[in-house]
Amino acid sequence: MTHSTLLLIPLAPLIGGILNVLFGMRLPRRLSEFLAVAGVAASALLTLAAWPLAGGEGTHFTLFTWLQSGTLQIPFELLFDPLSAPMALMVTSVSTLIHLYAIGYMQGEEDYARFFALLNLFVFAMLLIVLADNLLVLFLGWEGVGFCSYALIGFWYRQEKNANAGRKAFLVTRVGDVFLGIAILWLFDLFGTLSISAINSQAAGLAAGVLTPLVILLLLGACGKSAQLPLMTWLPDAMAGPTPVSALIHAATMVTAGVYLLCRLFPLVSLSATGMALISAVGALTAFYAATCALAQREIKKVLAYSTMSQVGYMFLGVGSGAVAGAMFHLFTHAFFKALLFMAAGCVIHLCAQENDIFRMGGLARKSPLVFILFLAGALSLAGAPLSSGFFSKDSLLAADYALHTPFYTGLLVLAVLTALLTAVYTFRLLYLVFAGTPRFSGEPHHLPRLMTWPLIPLAIVAVGGGLINLPEFYGGHAWLSHFLGSLAGAPVHISHTEEGFIAALAAILFVLGWLLSRRRYQGDLPEETGPVWRFLLSGWQADTLIRKVLLHPFASLARFFWQGTDRSLIDGILHSLARGCQLGGDRLRALTSGRLSHYLAAVAWGLLLFMLFFLVQVAQS
Amino acid sequence: MIVPLSHVLGFAAALFLMGLACTLARRNLIMILIGIEIMLNAAGLAFIGAAAFWRQVDGQIFVIFLMAMTSAEVAISLAMVVYLRRQKTSLEADAYDGMKG
Repeated sequence: MTHSTLLLIPLAPLIGGILNVLFGMRLPRRLSEFLAVAGVAASALLTLAAWPLAGGEGTHFTLFTWLQSGTLQIPFELLFDPLSAPMALMVTSVSTLIHLYAIGYMQGEEDYARFFALLNLFVFAMLLIVLADNLLVLFLGWEGVGFCSYALIGFWYRQEKNANAGRKAFLVTRVGDVFLGIAILWLFDLFGTLSISAINSQAAGLAAGVLTPLVILLLLGACGKSAQLPLMTWLPDAMAGPTPVSALIHAATMVTAGVYLLCRLFPLVSLSATGMALISAVGALTAFYAATCALAQREIKKVLAYSTMSQVGYMFLGVGSGAVAGAMFHLFTHAFFKALLFMAAGCVIHLCAQENDIFRMGGLARKSPLVFILFLAGALSLAGAPLSSGFFSKDSLLAADYALHTPFYTGLLVLAVLTALLTAVYTFRLLYLVFAGTPRFSGEPHHLPRLMTWPLIPLAIVAVGGGLINLPEFYGGHAWLSHFLGSLAGAPVHISHTEEGFIAALAAILFVLGWLLSRRRYQGDLPEETGPVWRFLLSGWQADTLIRKVLLHPFASLARFFWQGTDRSLIDGILHSLARGCQLGGDRLRALTSGRLSHYLAAVAWGLLLFMLFFLVQVAQS
Repeated sequence: MIVPLSHVLGFAAALFLMGLACTLARRNLIMILIGIEIMLNAAGLAFIGAAAFWRQVDGQIFVIFLMAMTSAEVAISLAMVVYLRRQKTSLEADAYDGMKG
């Protein structure tokens, strides 16, 4: 096992993507699809093969020096350590399953080469983020992910709605990227290096006045990619993309990039108490906000989108509480069950004849028991059913928050607990509306390709049983992930077994309570959800309108002023009147050359007269 | 000198102005040419008068040049008049405005 294996991990999907870019449409369809899956699958196998390299401090691998100018040295470095290795494994393995599913999902699609090329490039960019040991390399992947998500969300660009959603995702995440870019430049200015390991080891020497703004900049960068408040508006719209894209971008990879960034730079981030508090506050508020929005959504994928936002908020809360291990744990379990849920939702939409509205579904449990079981596995894990993976990971985050024992964090804990209840409510609302009752949709259901169901089975297994990777000692586990992360796991959580049991019981009670609430409301006749409160929640607390009013409108007015007020009236006005003046003068002057002999002769006479007058004046003066 | 120079110059000036008036006022090409001839003759007259006054022969030599130049000019102008008349079937000067800007 040589270090160059590390290079092959991101390279495999890149090669697959490039081959599909260059030859995709000329190859037989099967081969093109095979290339895409093979690229990601190879990457997953290589990650497994390289696993021993992750032990201890991890392995650095410098490929070449990317930039070199004076003191600026940017080596193209990869780092395979206890933090990046499981993340890379999760990204590649979940992506492989999503790729397989995508083959089935995109069966009737003509632009398959573009789709698979973009998917592969997306995985490549994500792996760059995960494996980078250099902030600039990370930023490269960061932007690559942004571009690919833009192209994938707007994949069906012929409909303007989809193209707009892609643009929105691109622009909103770009706002965060600007802050991250500033943070990276600042870090380079402070340390003279962009190596993540070097920055983390030297961070302790920074003054508090520098640290807090730096952490805030990093947080804003992470907020953009992870769709946290206030840069969250792109995620629900991004559901316009094909379902495999939703599963890939909005569950397993891109939205977790922000959490991963904060975990990666945790030694730096954790030094600023204010920064940590802000991270937790953003996380808890987003978790609550998105959960309330998910309660009212009518589109099945939008419920899941808001739920993703909410769960990523939990991860932020975990990072802010100092529990990197907990955040990464939840990141992994969430990737499993949310990818599963998205893809199962794709199956559901197929079975309901392309119907997105959950109020027009129903009765699917009898129609397709397999899809029901798969969806149920994901949903239970999302809602935090006791002993499912989501239960353990959410529990570890709540415990980490609880362990801090300050009024501020206790307040956030209340919010998080409330969110857990809401999560159970909206998950069961989804389950009841989609799978229970009588079918409410019309139209012929689409055929469900086998490739769309069997990649979900392994995901369903890990979604339920994935808790084992970090089963707390309380349950007789060994907290494998926390031990594996070692020094990267963040602050250890000190709570007694009684408290741990109390939190677990609370989570279980919340789950059951959420279930019962949903059952009462949605089991029988469908409730009307049309009041002003529902509309408010359906529109995501009017966030889009608010942003349009507060930011876009003033900006548009300013732009209009500069365009019409300044550019058109003032600058163009001056230029046009100058031109008009010249033309008028020219017209007058042109009349002189009338071509008439008499006019010329008259001009000669006048000239003569002038000369004579001139001489007369001369004579008179002398 | 029998006639005082001032009379000669006054007459030459009157002749010149009449020629100028003719050139400016008339539209017929031939009349314009005649006006120019008259002005040239006025200039010649002034030369002669001055030569007689200062008893210098230069002025008379100038007049001979002037006559040679005038005859050459008339020859060319008349040829052009004939040519132009063939082109436009008119001798009105305003008909020839092909050079206007």
